Amino acid sequence: MTQTPKSLTVKDLTKVFQTPEGPTTAVRDVNFEIEGNTFFTMLGPSGCGKTTTLRMIAGLETVTSGDLLLDGEDFRRKNAFERNIGMVFQSYALFPHMTVFENVAYGMRLRKAPETLIRERVTETLAMLRLDGLEKRHPADLSGGQQQRVSIGRALVYRPDILLLDEPLANLDAKLRVEMRDEIRRLQKTLGVMALYVTHDQEEAMAISDRIAVFSKGRLMQLGAPYEIYTHPTSVFVADFIGKANFFLVTLDGDAVVAPNGARFGGLPVVQTVDEDEWFDRTDALMMCRPEKMWLVAASERTGDTGFEGRATRIQFLGTFVRYLIESDQARSDVIVDLPAFAPGVSEGDAVRFGPAKDGMVFRKATK
Amino acid sequence: MTAAVPTKPRRRRNIAPWVAGGLTLFVLVAFLLFPIGTTLLNSFAPSGERFAFGNATFENFTRFWTSAQYQTALINTIIIGLAVTVLSTIVAVPAAYFVARVQMPFKPLIMSLSIIPLISPPFVGAYSWVILFGRSGIVSQYLRDWFGFQMPPIYGFFGVILAMVLANFTYVFLFVQGALTAVDPHLEESARVMGASRWRILRTVVLPLAIPPMLAGAMIVLIEALGEFGIPAVLGGEVYVLSTLMYFQIHGYFNLNAASAIALVNVAITLIAIVLLLRINRKRRFITVGSTTRRAALQTGRGIRIVANLYVWGLLAVALLPQAVVIFTSFAEKWPGTRWPLEYGLDNYRYIFSRIVEPMQNSLMLAAIATVVCVIFGTLTGYIAERKTFPGKWALDLTIMLPFVLPGIVTGVALLVTYNSGPIALTGTAAILVIAYFVRRIAYIYRSVVAAVSQLDLKMEEASTIAGAGWSTTMRKITVPLIAPGILAGAIIVFTTLISEMSTTIMLYSARWKTVSIAIYERLESQEIAAAAAIGSVTILVTLLLVLTATRVIGKSMSELFS
Ligand SMILES: Nc1ncnc2c1ncn2[C@@H]1O[C@H](COP(=O)(O)OP(=O)(O)OP(=O)(O)O)[C@@H](O)[C@H]1O
Ligand SMILES: [Mg+2]
Repeated sequence: MTQTPKSLTVKDLTKVFQTPEGPTTAVRDVNFEIEGNTFFTMLGPSGCGKTTTLRMIAGLETVTSGDLLLDGEDFRRKNAFERNIGMVFQSYALFPHMTVFENVAYGMRLRKAPETLIRERVTETLAMLRLDGLEKRHPADLSGGQQQRVSIGRALVYRPDILLLDEPLANLDAKLRVEMRDEIRRLQKTLGVMALYVTHDQEEAMAISDRIAVFSKGRLMQLGAPYEIYTHPTSVFVADFIGKANFFLVTLDGDAVVAPNGARFGGLPVVQTVDEDEWFDRTDALMMCRPEKMWLVAASERTGDTGFEGRATRIQFLGTFVRYLIESDQARSDVIVDLPAFAPGVSEGDAVRFGPAKDGMVFRKATK
Repeated sequence: MTAAVPTKPRRRRNIAPWVAGGLTLFVLVAFLLFPIGTTLLNSFAPSGERFAFGNATFENFTRFWTSAQYQTALINTIIIGLAVTVLSTIVAVPAAYFVARVQMPFKPLIMSLSIIPLISPPFVGAYSWVILFGRSGIVSQYLRDWFGFQMPPIYGFFGVILAMVLANFTYVFLFVQGALTAVDPHLEESARVMGASRWRILRTVVLPLAIPPMLAGAMIVLIEALGEFGIPAVLGGEVYVLSTLMYFQIHGYFNLNAASAIALVNVAITLIAIVLLLRINRKRRFITVGSTTRRAALQTGRGIRIVANLYVWGLLAVALLPQAVVIFTSFAEKWPGTRWPLEYGLDNYRYIFSRIVEPMQNSLMLAAIATVVCVIFGTLTGYIAERKTFPGKWALDLTIMLPFVLPGIVTGVALLVTYNSGPIALTGTAAILVIAYFVRRIAYIYRSVVAAVSQLDLKMEEASTIAGAGWSTTMRKITVPLIAPGILAGAIIVFTTLISEMSTTIMLYSARWKTVSIAIYERLESQEIAAAAAIGSVTILVTLLLVLTATRVIGKSMSELFS
């Protein structure tokens, strides 16, 4: 069932929109390459240019500058309808005047496939999406989840070279979202089609992707496997956006990291950040620690260990772990500490001591 | 193991939208902007000549200072236009309120009946007033014999204004009724919760909300009244208005340039009126339609229901009286100035039978062709205007809407002036009538399409493109099928209102291409009233049947089509 692997190259892709307020750059010098049946996700906050990038690849938006190559061939010279891609929209965009069968068969008919092949392919696709029996219905008579399945079927039936998905799950409820994302990935791997997925939900991105491209303000900030991005962020933005992160204002003294209260930490990797966080106006470096990689005790304990002081404002029991929200003037904002069990002798409002247990890292101001 | 379905052979460039756009642009320029421009220029040319920079003159306009006939025609047009607009609004608003807010039976029937004045040939109805209130009219004779009361003469202001009000109040009625039905009930409910009385709510919440649609309806009435030809031609008598004066200049003296000048003045006062109305309306921009699907509670008080039923049915009875009189008259065989006809029968129908076939055929054929052309170009332009951004878009919008404010007779004069001679002489052909109809009505389709396309998710078309469909395939398979109900509704209005089109036809028809409205007009001129009534009745019937069939097919009610 799998098809011959393709490779998509995006080079210095840039998009400038002409708006009434003047030109705005929605996408700036984006570079990446996708091979074979990779599940590739573009992740970033609202308005960072994910959709615009996707639409340029689809041919729905003109490219201001840069290159798009599919197997080395210039993609820009083809019209959207000649690119042989499949696309799934957030709003499904099913054709309301056609039955489920005709919706899915649409792309096959445009390709002038013989009727028997159409019937075979559509039936097979609908079965794969667990939509058998609904062929004769119209989209209006389907649930949201079913509609989204139809639109995935419509995009996959003619075996496109690339499958593009723009927040396809955003309109579904939380439980269905989790179900559908696994289904999309299973289908994509079965058919061996390259997938480009857009989302602003970092958990979804981690769960579904082979590779993630994190965007911010039209730029590609970091590219890598989910684990890599989580454990080795190259910027404050990515560290902050992927998962939860605590930041402490520190200064660098040779190899050591010094907190304002005099605490010194050694052996932490130092990364020169690529972004310009406004906190770097006040400090040379920021130390980052994930909540689950911190220790926390009552203020009276472990006074010998290097750490910070603060006050626990809220303690939440979240099933598999306990979350402490801490107010501290040594951190960039409220600190989150996740512990596997309650810390003895700490209740809401108490003074606490806390610090990094392992795997912290330091971001150093970018040199201009 | 299945290989990808091969994509279609590569196409270099997608030219379909450009071809479609270019063609549309050409048609608009050739048949709309060019004729209007020519008219404008020729109004400054001496009589009998074409405009050139050497011969420019104000001669055609000076008559507005020197000729009493011109001056009175101008003043009459303004007086009649204002009176008709004000009276139509006064008559229509209570009816609209009652139908929207009071519990009444047969509302769909009321809505359908209110459309009839809009789709029947206006001037036949106009003549009905002569039959009723003329010197030897039925009602006049009774009034004189029983009460010794002498009716004011029907010819002149009284008749023209009466007939026009009853032919046009429906526009205000439909707009206001639609808005009042759609008002978010929460508005009134919150006023009530705050302790406002019913009367106070009516005065401070409901009526202010009805003002923008009321002004919108009034604007259409005003435009219609300023450009109407049929009614002043039949009932005007000595009272000339600009449209009848234009007709007089052309059919009396064949002075095209003088007619052009009058046309220009006519357009000018129409534009001034529109600008004024828009200015009043601009100060009041409300979002009146809420998101709830719930409707406002209807008033059920006994008193208000009696008043409402009496008013609405009374108004409908008066408004439909002309049509009833036309049908009645069509069966009158001998009516030599007596109070009632002496004999009834089908003689009139026998008489007109052989004579109506050809004009009816012409009307239906010209209307049908014009409708098809309107649908094609209206859909293209509407689509392009809604979906594409390009410089000069506002100009396209303005061009299409222009004939909306041009009195029909002005469009007629413009085409006559432009295509009367020269390389493309179209006068007397069917083509010029089709062009005129097209120009006058394309805005209806255009607006329906713009509205329908704006409701259509752009992603749907993109999904089709991505699946491999070019622009024209997407149009054919996705866009057009989905906006078809809107197009069809527009097409029905265009077709039915064109069957008995008068103002433009009167300027452009020829012996070969007479339409039903011309046939009726000629019978009226030669005092064959009953025969005219018979043709009128057949026309009303044919039109009604067509509208009813069409509404069945597309599943919309008659009144929905017009609002
Ligand atoms: N047609 C347009 N004209 C002008 N500006 C646009 C247009 N489309 C997008 N933009 C701008 O480009 C930027 C990126 O938009 P884009 O839709 O790609 O964001 P996104 O990352 O998909 O966000 P979201 O998660 O909210 O969908 C935004 O600032 C947006 O305002
Ligand atoms: Mg987006």
